[in-house]
Amino acid sequence: MDNTQNTTREWVHGLTALILALFLLGVSSGLGIVKNIIDIWGALLFVPEYPAVVMRDIYLDWRSWSRDKNSLNSEVIKLREENAQLRIDLAKLTGEKIYSEDINPKLKTARVALRAPMSWWNEIKIDKGEIDKITQGMPIFYNGYLLGRVSSVSTMSSWVELITSASFMIPAVIEETRELGLIVGDGSGSVALRYIPAGRGIKSGMKVSTAMIGEQLPPGLPIGKIAGEISSGSDGYATYKIDPGAELSKFYTVNY
Amino acid sequence: MILVILWLIQDFLTVLSGGGMQIPGLFMLGIVYRLLFNDDSDVNLWAIWSAFAGGILWDLRWIGIPGFFTLGNVIVVLILVQVWGSIPPQGRTGGMFLLVFILMEISQLIPPMLPVLILGGNTGWSFFLLQQFYSLPAIGFSMYLYSKRLRNSAK
Repeated sequence: MDNTQNTTREWVHGLTALILALFLLGVSSGLGIVKNIIDIWGALLFVPEYPAVVMRDIYLDWRSWSRDKNSLNSEVIKLREENAQLRIDLAKLTGEKIYSEDINPKLKTARVALRAPMSWWNEIKIDKGEIDKITQGMPIFYNGYLLGRVSSVSTMSSWVELITSASFMIPAVIEETRELGLIVGDGSGSVALRYIPAGRGIKSGMKVSTAMIGEQLPPGLPIGKIAGEISSGSDGYATYKIDPGAELSKFYTVNY
Repeated sequence: MILVILWLIQDFLTVLSGGGMQIPGLFMLGIVYRLLFNDDSDVNLWAIWSAFAGGILWDLRWIGIPGFFTLGNVIVVLILVQVWGSIPPQGRTGGMFLLVFILMEISQLIPPMLPVLILGGNTGWSFFLLQQFYSLPAIGFSMYLYSKRLRNSAK
């Protein structure tokens, strides 16, 4: 068979197929039998398509579950924050103490941007500032314990004075005895509690938290535990070494 | 047999995507690929009727009105047979790469375009444009196979 005959045959078959397709297009939409054929064909394809249907359903279920979970999580976080804020506001109004679990849910994280060797125990720089609603005097936490307070704020960063800083002084209370004293740093990594009357049965392991000192540091913020007595002066007051709850040699991020 | 498998893969992927994306016309790419290597003395009736059958089955599964893809597939095969057939076998070299790409693109362009042209609608056009975008990797892979086979046959 030569090429001309081949071409003719192709044209004849091609045109026949075209006419048939056009005919189908023209008449099939009105034929009820087409629906039956579609149903039968769909039923036949059910078997090869079944794995795809299952895989798609698994994916859709997973996506739906994931969305629901995210939505619930955000709602829980929002409610926790609201609850924590309400408890803090209430504590400020009534002067009652605040527990670390009250504060933790509303804490946000900041990264330590700089900790200079020259002022290792005195201050750190964090990557949050005014635009993140950081204000001067705000307490900064690590592991739910007081790490320091904001000493200066710029637009996108802040400096935090650590509790080990020599210039850091805040009133504190021993929770078990309600004795009041002053937390001071020594600039070398140690924290002490001063001006506790001597002979009051203060023991190692007793908890120390902030006492009422103003609006920005509410009472009851956990600081650490008594680690032991350093000295008992002739003036009748003892000084205790404090073991800060915030591990000062480990943090890369802080909470505010 | 390979065309049946390609049709089923195309159908499988369409079910899997759940309408989320347009699946490339693998079945028509298979026909185009085979036609490109057909001997000039062969009669390409298999291609015409395979395209017709594949189209009608696709219409029955996905369009609901037989004729759209049937017509599109047959038109593609006729264009291909005429254009590719007009080039002598000696001229079908690597220099024809652009033409091969155009022919493959036509196989992805015309069949889904007919329902859009006839039924219309904004969604139809956006879906059609999207299908062309999604077809590019499949066309690229076919081009790679084509060039590889061309190199092997030249050795």
